[in-house]
Amino acid sequence: MIGFVYHLQDAGIPVSVQYVLEFYRALQRGLARNLDQLFVLARLVFVKRVEYYDVFEQAFASFFLGAEGTAPAVNWEELIAGKPFQEWLRDQLEQGLLTPEELREFDTEELLARFWETVLKQEGRHQGGNQWVGTRGRSPYGHSGHHAGGMRVYGQSLYGSAQKVIDDRRYINYSDQSSLSNENLRQVLTSMRSLRPLGPESELDIDETIAKTAKNGGEIELIFRRELRNRLKLIVMVDNGGYSMTPYIPLVKTIFTKLRDMFRDVTFYYFHNCIYGTVYRDPQRTQSVKWEKLVSENKSTRLILIGDANMAPAELMAAYGSIEMTHTIRKPGKEWLHELKTAFPVSIWLNPIRKDHWGRESTTIQQIGRIFRMEDLTLAGIKNAVSYMNIQGQTYDSQ
Amino acid sequence: MQFEGTERYYLNPELREIVNIAIAMGKPLLLTGEAGTGKTQLAFEISRSLELTMEEARCKSTFKGEELCYVYDTVLRLNDSRFGSGETGRNVNDIWDYLRFGPIGRAFLAGDRRVLLLDEIDKTDSDAQDNLLDVLEEGSFIIREINHKVSARQTPIIIITSNAKRELSDPFLRRCFCHYIPFPPPDEMQIIVRLHFPDIAEPLLDACLTTFYRLREQGFEKPPATAELLDWIGALKSSGARAPGAGKEVNHIGTLLKRTEDLLKFRGVRRTSRF
Repeated sequence: MIGFVYHLQDAGIPVSVQYVLEFYRALQRGLARNLDQLFVLARLVFVKRVEYYDVFEQAFASFFLGAEGTAPAVNWEELIAGKPFQEWLRDQLEQGLLTPEELREFDTEELLARFWETVLKQEGRHQGGNQWVGTRGRSPYGHSGHHAGGMRVYGQSLYGSAQKVIDDRRYINYSDQSSLSNENLRQVLTSMRSLRPLGPESELDIDETIAKTAKNGGEIELIFRRELRNRLKLIVMVDNGGYSMTPYIPLVKTIFTKLRDMFRDVTFYYFHNCIYGTVYRDPQRTQSVKWEKLVSENKSTRLILIGDANMAPAELMAAYGSIEMTHTIRKPGKEWLHELKTAFPVSIWLNPIRKDHWGRESTTIQQIGRIFRMEDLTLAGIKNAVSYMNIQGQTYDSQ
Repeated sequence: MQFEGTERYYLNPELREIVNIAIAMGKPLLLTGEAGTGKTQLAFEISRSLELTMEEARCKSTFKGEELCYVYDTVLRLNDSRFGSGETGRNVNDIWDYLRFGPIGRAFLAGDRRVLLLDEIDKTDSDAQDNLLDVLEEGSFIIREINHKVSARQTPIIIITSNAKRELSDPFLRRCFCHYIPFPPPDEMQIIVRLHFPDIAEPLLDACLTTFYRLREQGFEKPPATAELLDWIGALKSSGARAPGAGKEVNHIGTLLKRTEDLLKFRGVRRTSRF
């Protein structure tokens, strides 16, 4: 059975400890009396998405019916008698992680849970993990750091391995100072979710109603408050012209697409370096959007500009400043930005360049920073941006 | 407790195993799959065949999850406190007179085991799904107003359906048994049609199924599903048609194809182009 679980994992199906335990529990209850039932049961327990059905079927077929000819060993007692489990148990006892007293207290399920936790954890970090199944004899465990390059099983704090953990800096991506990446996406999303909600005034404010009613001498007065769901519009304008933005565009899109639930509408527009009366609906910047329509949006609409704001000063300040040769717009970029700020009072500029580098780059960063509040595209920056927009938004949401 | 099909519903043997495993393990069963594959119907059949009462929750996008457990009717209580409850027998001092239980609440409080159907869970937003997760997993919820815990007397048989309009979260999937119901192949479809039209003539059935599966392969925006097929055969029978028609002359095509674009495509009408 261990082999089968590994087999699934090798095939790319995510397996968790709970699944394995559930599977054992079901086998114990005799829910798999024949191969067909075993198949259905294993699929129910291990496969959660239809995308994996095919992979699962192949894995199942090759394991139970394939060339290896392994008989369906559904007897879970075998596992406990088997070498890998016994060896793991011995390790645990030797290292004092499990005392004999504890062993007596734990039931089999608890033990199995711990065992699988170890095995799966190690599997995740160690590429050659499945070799372990084949050899069946060699201990895969690194014995708390004795083994060169070995992985640790529970022994985190022994023999200087703490040092290694620190050196690994596995959590660096979660720090406040790190810039946007796949690892901290979830954190960013959480902070974005606190963008102040604005729903219809349809929820009865009970406390307020009772207070008002009491004041009225028992004459009922119903007070409604805004429902806790967001019905704002969000416009995201992305500078997709420069190199500095390229790595961030997919991430930025993922974030705001995930936020779509919270907003009534999320719209993306694109521009290059600075804005001269037009933004574009497509990344290739061919379908332009009417400026008049854009600036006549509701004042409560949130605007997030994402760009490095790093350009030649002339692009911002001079007439006919656009970097695009074909543009013949007289009004300088700065004035367009001012107009945009007036149209969207609740707006923020997010910059992929780190805050402490701003001084060293083009002066345009400071100049734009005077028009729009600017934050960098780090976790801390996004948190600041969200709280800034919430405060700004209070004035305009009631309208 | 073993679930077998009923005389009105064709049960695929694999699906029967799945339902029985889910019942035995006491886990919610999440059914996904194309519209018209009988996801919702399955829950009704389980309740019919096992003779259990059914609690049904049709999800809406505005659900927060809690209203499926209970609703506390403050407005009614306020009204009663001001104008008196009259002859309704409600006691303003007793909050229990103003709590109304939703399908989950009723299923938990019932003395008998019930079938709980959460239909189209994907319509709710992810927060509501997360709220429901804990409730279903623990078999209990708390009435916040009086901090009273309601625990399930009997774990209900929970059937959840999803049309995959929105992706369900991983934690949600992890706590369910998930099954994707594939579209029934022609031989199963024959059995299904016969359950509804026991006296249908063999040649007509064959011809209908041929036309039906051919239409499904043509990549229409909304391909006809089981429900459409049954409607169509019903229409053919009541109009006394002997054959479904061939080529572009399929009788009652409107029961099979619902969208204008699909119908135009079927008839071979091209959109007049400007160029």
